Amino acid sequence: MAKGDGGQRRVGRALGLATAAIAAAAIAVLFSSRSPSLSSVEGAQALPASSSSALTVPLPVRLRRSAAVAYWASVRRAVTARTSPSHGARAVERLATTTPEGTANLVLALGRARDRAGRLWIHVRLPVLPNGRTGWVPRRALGVYGVVHTHLLIDLERPRATLLRDGRPIFSAPIGVGRPEWPTPKGEFYIRVRLTRYRSPFYGPLAFGTSARSSVLTDWPGGGFVGIHGTDQPDLLPGRVSHGCIRLRNQDILELGRLMPVGTPVTIR
Amino acid sequence: MASNLEQLPSTSDLTLGELDRDGAIRETVERVSGESRATFLEKAVVGGAALLGALAAPAASRAAAKSDVAILNYALTLEYLQAAFYTETERLGAVGGELKRVPRQLGAVERAHVAAIKAALGQAAVKRPAFDFRGVTEDQTKFLKTAVAFEDLAVAAYKAQAARIKSPALLAAAISIHSVEARHAAWMRFLAGVKPAATPFDQGKPIAEVKAIAASTHFIVARPKKTSTKNPNYTG
Repeated sequence: MAKGDGGQRRVGRALGLATAAIAAAAIAVLFSSRSPSLSSVEGAQALPASSSSALTVPLPVRLRRSAAVAYWASVRRAVTARTSPSHGARAVERLATTTPEGTANLVLALGRARDRAGRLWIHVRLPVLPNGRTGWVPRRALGVYGVVHTHLLIDLERPRATLLRDGRPIFSAPIGVGRPEWPTPKGEFYIRVRLTRYRSPFYGPLAFGTSARSSVLTDWPGGGFVGIHGTDQPDLLPGRVSHGCIRLRNQDILELGRLMPVGTPVTIR
Repeated sequence: MASNLEQLPSTSDLTLGELDRDGAIRETVERVSGESRATFLEKAVVGGAALLGALAAPAASRAAAKSDVAILNYALTLEYLQAAFYTETERLGAVGGELKRVPRQLGAVERAHVAAIKAALGQAAVKRPAFDFRGVTEDQTKFLKTAVAFEDLAVAAYKAQAARIKSPALLAAAISIHSVEARHAAWMRFLAGVKPAATPFDQGKPIAEVKAIAASTHFIVARPKKTSTKNPNYTG
């Protein structure tokens, strides 16, 4: 039995070697220059050449990296901003969906948190008195997010406006600011609205509405919001000449209007 | 690995329509779609001449080229949606862990798709709509499920249009994007615990179905109005 098994193994090995040799020969024939190739497959010559693409495809487009990024959000549903991310927290202010100018009411997004039920809340800067107030609103009350890479600095001492993009100055101009009895408020604010093509030479050709409000002229029509706008009295600039608004020469406000999007954070110091 | 794949479910448990159901902006979505269609036909003749010329083979009719431009604009709208979704997620930085690299990698690719299609369409390109992702870009679980749904949708949309594309050059371009979307879909499905390839043959989705699905998300919204012509009422 043992001898017979050994004979069978030898025969099996011989058959295996023969099979391997035949397979190797077949592969060699297939890949030799004289062997049939895909191009000689029946009908293959009739295939058209492959088409080039209609698109010029660029490399993957990475996001611009910048620490100087700010986010705004539109108020989609009227909502009460609260002192902390909880429906039980104290109310700070009721936010409407539109501004008095008829534009979307924007808030600057500062952070996020979840309440105990897992609901998402957004920490926002508010356009209310006292200046600098923030609050929390449910994410579901907010709509579109926007991103800006700009930041406007207002220096009340010099007085001068400087616009930064990605942290670098791209615009600077002398300004008029509030008189001592009607001071321009200091603090952190943002651009809420942009007004153009109105009929008021006093404000020049373009005006931005900010979230800053005069703490003195609280009974001013519209609530005493501080604007950044042109002027029909450029000779007064720079100086402390306004009721709290920030005035620029008309060519400067037009240039600023070209560079500064709504939602831009504003620091007045 | 094979046994793991076998154990995965074939479909995600989420449809895009489940992400938001309040229906507040449905009309806006329809308006956006309507405007895109309306402006396309007008622009395709005026602004898309270069592309039309590039796409049209000598024997191809101008009507066929216009049809291809329409398909390209349709693809562009889907690419806008995907690119905006991943871009916002990456910027907000609220999605982390094993998903952290997803918006960065997929966003870069989808933005490249947008750039390529826009460059090809020139002035005939539809404008980018506004998007409100309603917190999905700030929620780990919802982000992944939406990514699966978006990638599957894109794959199905490209597939359905392939047979309608007249220009071989545009078909080659569409196929080159379609296969990338399919890879994205497989990756997202695997991360979500869904079989990357559940069936041996995929089905395309016609435009009407894709639009209905996109509209059901309420992610496409009117652009917030930020400019007015009212007289300023500031302190002056």
